[in-house]
Order: sequence, then structure tokens, then C-alpha cells
Amino acid sequence: MAEAATDLRQPPAQPRAAAAPTLVSVAAAPAAAPVASSSATAPAPTPTPPPTPQSSASGSFIVVRDRFTLYCDRPIPALDMPNALAYEVVDRKQEGRPLYALVCKPEMPTRVSVMRILKGLEIPAVLHMVDWGVAEWPLADRKCVIVIYHRPLGGRVMDTMASTFKRVPDHQFARAIIKPIADGLVELGLKGIAHRAIRPDNLYYMDEQRTKIVLGDCVTSVAAHDQPVVLETIESGMANPSGRGGGTHADDMYAFGATVLMLAIGRNPLQGVPDAEIIRRKIQTGSYAALVGDERMPVAQIECLRGLLTDDTEQRWAATNIDLWLNGKRLTPIQAKAESAAQRPIRFADQEFHSIRPLSYAMYQNWEKAISIISDGTLEIWIRRGHEINELADGIDSAIKSTGAMSMMGGNKGDTDDVIVARVLMLMDPKAPIRFRDFRCFIEGFGQALAIAMLRKQKLQPFSDFINRELWRHWLGAQAGKIAADNQQYETVFRDLKNYLKDPNSGAGIERCVYELNEWQPCMSPLIENQYVMEVKGVLPALDASAKNANTKLWPVDRHVAAFLRARYAKGTGSQIDSMNDPRPDRATIGMLSVLAIVQWRLGPEALYGLAGWVGALMGPVINSYQNRNKRKDLEKEIPKLVRKGNLAELYNYLDNPEERQKDAEGFAWSKAEYAAAEKMIYDFEHGQMDRQESAIKLGRQTGAVAATLIMFVTFVVVLMGKLL
Amino acid sequence: MKKRSTLFLYVMLAIPIGLMMIPTVIVLAVAMVPTGVAFIMERGKGYYGGLTVGAMNLAGASPYLADLWTQGHTVAVALGIITNVFAWMMFYGAALFGWAIYSTTPAAVSAFMTMTAGQRITGMRAQQKELVMKWGPDVESVYEPPGAAAAAAAAAQEHATAEPMAPKR
Repeated sequence: MAEAATDLRQPPAQPRAAAAPTLVSVAAAPAAAPVASSSATAPAPTPTPPPTPQSSASGSFIVVRDRFTLYCDRPIPALDMPNALAYEVVDRKQEGRPLYALVCKPEMPTRVSVMRILKGLEIPAVLHMVDWGVAEWPLADRKCVIVIYHRPLGGRVMDTMASTFKRVPDHQFARAIIKPIADGLVELGLKGIAHRAIRPDNLYYMDEQRTKIVLGDCVTSVAAHDQPVVLETIESGMANPSGRGGGTHADDMYAFGATVLMLAIGRNPLQGVPDAEIIRRKIQTGSYAALVGDERMPVAQIECLRGLLTDDTEQRWAATNIDLWLNGKRLTPIQAKAESAAQRPIRFADQEFHSIRPLSYAMYQNWEKAISIISDGTLEIWIRRGHEINELADGIDSAIKSTGAMSMMGGNKGDTDDVIVARVLMLMDPKAPIRFRDFRCFIEGFGQALAIAMLRKQKLQPFSDFINRELWRHWLGAQAGKIAADNQQYETVFRDLKNYLKDPNSGAGIERCVYELNEWQPCMSPLIENQYVMEVKGVLPALDASAKNANTKLWPVDRHVAAFLRARYAKGTGSQIDSMNDPRPDRATIGMLSVLAIVQWRLGPEALYGLAGWVGALMGPVINSYQNRNKRKDLEKEIPKLVRKGNLAELYNYLDNPEERQKDAEGFAWSKAEYAAAEKMIYDFEHGQMDRQESAIKLGRQTGAVAATLIMFVTFVVVLMGKLL
Repeated sequence: MKKRSTLFLYVMLAIPIGLMMIPTVIVLAVAMVPTGVAFIMERGKGYYGGLTVGAMNLAGASPYLADLWTQGHTVAVALGIITNVFAWMMFYGAALFGWAIYSTTPAAVSAFMTMTAGQRITGMRAQQKELVMKWGPDVESVYEPPGAAAAAAAAAQEHATAEPMAPKR
């Protein structure tokens, strides 16, 4: 995290208008600004944020890292990525260096961990990432991730997936295209990076002569999100783009194989074919055959392409195999084992199926109908008799019974049927992603899929169902070859997620899940979303900056902020967030203050004037928790003074002084007792009239007797004295 | 048995003393009649009435007793006193005054006590108001004498279980 802080260089907490001029500034374009290229003058194709900049006479720019001048009014649509827009950049230290910037769309998480590795690295045949950072982007009126690359002067190899490519002569093809990219993939593999964005329209020529081919950007969206189904393995293609997971080198090799095939043919052979049909064909005939179809492939590349497009991951060529192949070593790929086919077909959705996997895919596509062949036992009998795979048949039977038994305890039939279908599909095709109606996701892609859904404000019910219905556990159970340690790891992670979901308090819930699963996910609180806060240290300055515009009647620590802090800084803020969830308003408010105070005390900054004012105005319940009215008045007078210091820790210590609290509590208890005693006495006086009358009579008579006796003695003494003297 | 023997002892002592002080006994026997009446009237209500009337009665008799004791303690003097109308006026007037004291002091004391209680209630209410000003309404409480809550609950139950009466036509 500390390194990231250096990387991102969050500006200090100041209002956005005065955002750190040393890091990022917005100003009129300097006279020496380079002239925009012809392509840059064309309007940006995607109007979504960051929006297409408005051209102006002077133009505007921002300076990133005190070094790179990024021109907001000079887009380069030709270099746009599906989730990032390209703009011209000038390096102030090395003018004339061809660069461009990709400004990432905020609704798509970026691959920060990959950026941290690739920054500054010169990997052959991979677009050189010069720098990256988070900066205020005036066109979106928020902070965005900006990635600065060397500009490929030769443009894209294929402008779009629908474009054609001028075929390279067969004898040059391997050296000109396959070798450089394979070398790049070897390097990436050594660094543990899966590119996951290898496709013809993400290959560039670095030189104007279009001789040097490079792999394009792979960090502006989550892994494989932008990959067309045709370039993905069968399994990855089945998943939602956001749920494909990080992937592996083998996935890269498959995409590389499909890309090479398209370049060898000169176009996308499956252009216009629906995704579902592409997957069906791949399942039916294998990826290579499905992609090649009736095309004539150059003989020299067939072996390589067969090796790269093998559907069996274990047998698929790695980048090092390409080197061997280029050096003349024959590496005939072992053909994948043919799927077992039953002699007697099963009829489903007006089609006949002999194999399990195609049937599984058809069942997914006809979700509503699938339950009928499962529940009437047709499927089980067909697998048991036609394929003689008793283990699978038993598994299906067990899934039906156990899910049905669970539904007896609660839940509607529709949901139960959905879970049964999902579980049966997992058993029939364990390599496929977890499929639950429209939700298709690999277990490792769950986190990023959740993050994207949350950023796009989509429904999150499928994600909570995924956790609560333990679909992940069933999927892990269906994976015969998975390592037990991996399963245990997932088991622990998802058990924790389930607990978070059960907990309705701040610091838990689905928000916590998203931050736990995505290490670099910026805080998505509406209060600071625009500030792109990726680390705990940035939370308070961001809240401080948003204090001017935010609804200050709301707490600055909302569910997202609490979950973010809990996930990233649990040791520092755990108990404070717990106290924030106290049902008593005063304890909850002081808990909220304590969360902010502890973060400021440990991570700074020293003064947060805006946030202190915001929090100070919310301290009503804390002030009212003191019983002594004089103390309340003192607090009301003192809080503005502490707010002006901007120190939340000081404010917290003043408001939650244990001695003062005890003093107040004791004083209140005494006063309550005093009041009660007075009340009792008053009651006695008011309700003791009869007793008083009786006692008055008695006392009066006593008094009379005493008085008379005294008079008698006095009289006696006086009379006797008078007689005797 | 013991009481009777004690009474006998007193009588045995009183007879010789009485025989020795016959003139005084004669005067007192006439003068102290109101005291005897007072003791009889207030029987069962304590002896305060008898004491008050008796003390004042004795005080009224004291000048004549002093005369008796200083002018010769003889039966003749004693008879002279009890045949004096002014002496009778003195004896019975003083006894009347004693009765007046006995009758009026309870009312006076009661009036005094009521006045004092009012002042104390006012003082305590002011003190309670100060407490509420300083600590807020949470400091307030209502005193319920022991048994009041149970009585209220019983009354409520009785009310709740009472069979509703049909409205009369």
C-alpha cells in the first residue's frame, strides 16, 4: 500500500478547484503545444465519461506527475480502448517523444497490480507503459486512472474485429508476427502476468513502416473483459465478460492462437456469428475446426495453430513451444480425447444429443426446459445407460435430492429448480463457469464481476445468491482435478463473505465483499467516488474535499467507507466501526467520530478543516448524551474551537473524556436520587393530612399540659415566695 | 394481684399522711373537683386533659394553700377557705382556664404545622426545578408509595375483567 501511495501521489486534501497544482493542473494550452494529428481532430466515438472534450480556441490540458502534459481537447479515437479514451500527451522532459494517454472510464476497474509491474518495463513486443497515475480529469469532473504509453506510430494491425488484414506472405508470417508476440508472451509469463487482451484490434505497429508489431494495452479494463468470444477458450467464452477471472498463460496462448489464425486468414472467419453459436461450434467440433471452418490455412502454420487452439489446457502450447517450433522442432499436438458419445441420443429442445457437454450447453441455453429432463430422471438414465458414467449419474441424483431436501426447509420451487439446474450443469461440464440463469462467472472472476456490477449500479442479487446458495461450494465439489489447498482457500474466503452478507451493520454486507475480493478497488462511496481513493490514507483527504458539496446531514462514514476501511485497515478501525454500529445514537455517533479520528491520528493529515466542520455538526447526539445542561453548553461552545483546529482526534478525546462522562453520570445519579427524595417528602406532606391532624392534636395536648404544669410551678413559687418573704 | 397489693400499699401510706394533713386535704378535696371531672371525662384519651386542668386547678388553689400553711394549718382555717366564694371562683376559674388551654392548643399547633409544611413543599419544589434545569427532565421521577402500584394493578384488572353492562333503555 505504501508503494501505491507513492505511485498514485494523491493530492493533499483541498477543494477540487484548487487541486494540487504541483501534481495535476488544468490550464490554457501553452503556445508550444504540439499540433493535433488529423485523427485527433475527429470526435471521440464514445460519449460516456470521460466525455468527448469540447474543442476550444486555447484548449485545456492537465499536467500529470509534473511531467506529462495531457491535452484534453486532442483525443486520438484511433487509439481508444473499449474502456479508455486516448489523448495526446507531451513529455516535458523529453519533448518529441511519441506518447499517448489512455484515460480510463470510471465504471471499469483497472488492473492496478499489473500496472505496478509493467510501469517503466520495456518488454519486447509489448506496448511500453511509461507511467500511470490517478489524476483529476476535467472532462469527467472527477479523478480517473490515466495510463501513459509509447505511441504506436503505425496504428492498429486491424482497426476493428470486422476489418480485414493484408495478409503477410507465408514465409514471413512466423518471423514477422508469431515470433515477436511469442517473445513478448514469454516475458510476460516470466513476470507472472496474463495479458488477457490479445486480439487483432489490440495489436499495433510501433513504427510508421508497420514492421514492428506489439501487444496493446491490457490494464484499462479487468482481464479478458473486452475479449470477443471467438478469441476466448470455450469455458471463458461461456462466462460473462466481467466474470472471466484473471486467467492464465494458457488462456493468453489460446487468444494468441486465435489472433494468429485471423491474421493468417486476413479476417475474422466467424465475424457476424452469434456468440452462442461460436461456443456451440467450438464444443461440437473443437476450437481449431470451428475457427478454421472451410478456410484454407497456410500449411506452415497449421501445426502451431493446432497447438495453440487445443481445447485441452494441459496440452496447449506454451510460448516456449513456439520458440521450439520456430527452430524447426516438430511438436505435433496430441489430439484431445473425443467426448464419449452415447449410441442412443437424448432429445432435448428439439435436438438430439449424443455427448454430455453439448447437451449441457444446450440445457444452459434452454434453462426453463432443463429442469424437466432432470426432474423426470431422463437425463440420469441416459447418462447411466448411454454413457455408463454411474459416478456422474449418482452425482446428479444426489444434487437433486439434497437441493430438494433443502427446499423443504424453505424457499420457493422456482429457486430450487434453478439451483438444481445450476448444480447439474456444474457436474455435466465442470470446466464451465458457474451458470445460474444470466449469471455466468468463474470463481476467481467473482470479485471483479461484483465490482463491475456495483460500479454500473446493476442488480446485486445474483451475487448474494451465489454466496448464500453456496454455488461456489458445489462448483468446487464438481472440480475433480482441483488442488485441495485451492479449494480450502476458496472455502475460507467464501465462508467469510457469507458472514459479511449476514451482517447488516456498516463495515459488512455486499460492500465489504467487494473490497475484500478486489485489492485495488477504489472506494465507491458516493461521497468520495469522484476522488478515486484506492488506499486508506486517501479517505480522509477525500472526505475533507467533499465536505463542501456533500449533504452534511449524512454521516461521512457511510456503508462504503466503513466497508473500505474495514477491508483495508481492519486492525486499525475494527473496534471503532463496531462501536459505530451501536444502537444508541450517541455511542454510534462517537463511534463514527472515533473511526475518523483513529485514521487521522495514525495516517494523517494533521488538519482536516472541512471534515472536522462536517463531523462537528453531527455531534448533537453526543452532546445530548451528557445529562448536565451546563456541560452541554460548554461542549457547544468548545466544539467550534476544536473544529477550527481540524484535529478529529482532539475532538474525539474532548467529547469522549471518560472522567467527564463518569462525573456526569455520578452527578446525574445523585440528582435523580435527590429529586426522588424530595418527591417522596412532598408526597408525604401532601398526602399526610390526617396523620398530621392527629399528631397536631397529640402535640397540642402535650404542649398544653406542659404549659399548665409550668404555670402551676411558677404560681406556687411566686405565692410561696410572697408569703415567706 | 400485684396491682392490687400496690394499691393497698398506696392507700396504707396515704391514710396516715392524710390524717396528718387534714386541713390541706379538706381544701384540696373541694378545690380539685374539676380535675377529677377532667380525668373522668378524658378517660381513654390519655391523661393530658386531666394534667392540664389539674395543673391550672392547683395553680388556682395555690394562694389559699399558702394561706393555710402560713396562717396555721387547722381545720378551721380550711373551713374558712372552702366557705369563701372568691376561693371557689379562683379554684374553678383556674380549672376553666386549664380546660381552655387543653382545648385550643391542638388547633394552634395544627395551624402552625400546616404553615410550616407548605413552606417546605415550596422549598423542595424550587429545589426540584433547579435539578431539572441542570440535568433535564430525565432527572424527574414520580413517587409511588409502597403498595400503590399493586393496588392500581388490582383496580385495573378488576376494571378489565368487569362484565360490560348492557346499556339501559
